[in-house]
Amino acid sequence: MTDTAVVARDASPVELSEDWLAVIVGIGIFALCLLGTLGPDLVGWVVTTSVWTTPDKALAPFSKAYASLSGFGSLLVTYGALLAVLGAAAVSLKTDIRRFAIAFTVVFFLAYGSWIVGNQANLAAVTPADLAKFGLSWSLRLTNEGGYIVALVLGLVIANFFPRFADWLSAAIRPELYIKIAIVIIGASLAVTAVGKLNLASSLLLRGVAAIIEAYLIYWAVVYFVARKWFGFSREWSAPLASGISICGVAAAIATGGAIRARPVVPVLVSSLVVIFAVVEVLVLPLLAQTFLWHEPLVAGAWLGLAVKTDGAALAAGGIADALIVAKAAGEGIHYQLGWILATTATVKVFIDIFIGVWTFILGYVWTNHINKVAGSARARPVEIWQRFPKFILGFLVTFIVGLAIALSIDGSMTTRFNGAVAESNVFRVIFFILTFFSIGVLSDFRKLWQQGLGKLAAVYFVSLFGFVIWVGLLISWLFFAGVKPPTAG
Amino acid sequence: MVVMSDLHSLKQELSKNEVEPLLPIEKKLIGWSLGLGIGLLVGLAVLNRLFPFL
Repeated sequence: MTDTAVVARDASPVELSEDWLAVIVGIGIFALCLLGTLGPDLVGWVVTTSVWTTPDKALAPFSKAYASLSGFGSLLVTYGALLAVLGAAAVSLKTDIRRFAIAFTVVFFLAYGSWIVGNQANLAAVTPADLAKFGLSWSLRLTNEGGYIVALVLGLVIANFFPRFADWLSAAIRPELYIKIAIVIIGASLAVTAVGKLNLASSLLLRGVAAIIEAYLIYWAVVYFVARKWFGFSREWSAPLASGISICGVAAAIATGGAIRARPVVPVLVSSLVVIFAVVEVLVLPLLAQTFLWHEPLVAGAWLGLAVKTDGAALAAGGIADALIVAKAAGEGIHYQLGWILATTATVKVFIDIFIGVWTFILGYVWTNHINKVAGSARARPVEIWQRFPKFILGFLVTFIVGLAIALSIDGSMTTRFNGAVAESNVFRVIFFILTFFSIGVLSDFRKLWQQGLGKLAAVYFVSLFGFVIWVGLLISWLFFAGVKPPTAG
Repeated sequence: MVVMSDLHSLKQELSKNEVEPLLPIEKKLIGWSLGLGIGLLVGLAVLNRLFPFL
């Protein structure tokens, strides 16, 4: 990366193209998965990874119809398909295709290799039953989402110790494109989750609303004020930072950056911070939840959904806390059903996620009409709001609404097939998340970022997260979830 | 592709003393968000107490 800490892309033309490319690729993947419910599974070859103790058991194609491919074969086919699709995207973004293809090959295998390592049982196994199944005496209990941490750490190692290699990879280091595609794909999955959770526990609805209010109205306003008033950050930095800390991390920071037309480097830097702090939270908060909140399991689940930023990290923390708290309660003679703490975390996160589009639209409106007004024009034209609107959110809304409409209108075997299609699209979402985490790591030369002033950004994040977000999240989780217990086993 | 060195030095930018004052619209955004947020939360908390089965 020569003398640079972060590589960012040109302003609006490329950014706009990335948004629409994310919509096309994301909806295309979802549509192909959906077609599988009506006929042959067209993308069942996509590679999935299971928790493993012997490497030959790690990989497999998603669909049994492609079992003959073997795990490694499905990995190669997945790589080839992504290279073709993202190569076409790179051409439309005017990137040298040869350079992109070579760099993407290395990025894909390093990133996916990290995911495979993260699924090793000593890192990923969570429950005592898992440990027994794999014949292990210990595990870091990071869940399989610990693979994101491995990918991030590998990227950080490359950025900080092999800067020339990081520079060589830069053609395929496109975290914004990868995360936007993932967000488009995740729409359907969140719709199915929401329907499932609402059916299971409709009482969480009111509490989900409380989470939205807290994240968007209270957290955002306070963090924005702290960044602007106490730390003297400009509006361009403060808005993505407030969204990153308050809402759901990387996606919110990027969406806000797009809505207020911040330079691409701003949300990328904020995203780096979000990921690093989320990793710390995943490692620390579930242990605190087990120690202090084991007698109020759903308070713990909601708290993690509100406090841990990024969906992946929040659900990983919820999963870890689920296992730890259920085990601790069992030791005290209370046998809670496994999964309810994680379900609470997921529900809170879902409710927060689905309003990213609305919130960025509001911010886009305020910025366009009142803050970055075009000179000589009293009010911005409606078309400007549209121009600044992050288009990938439309893709997210399409997959969410289509997913919700289908999930609510089918039953029986069609529900099983539809849930299978959504699970298949989710495998692609995971792959794009892995590419994002690895890419963010490669973009984060922290020695140089620190020299260039990242410390001040980190200070806002630290003060807001540990001085306010975590405690207010705990208070509100307690207000709304105290006394609501998971069902007991048997 | 724009590299960081092409942008203003982040260090200079992030550590500059020159502060953009809060505009009235920002104060309004913060005030309304907080007011609405706290008001709605109190309302929901009351609902939650009155109708715990919701």
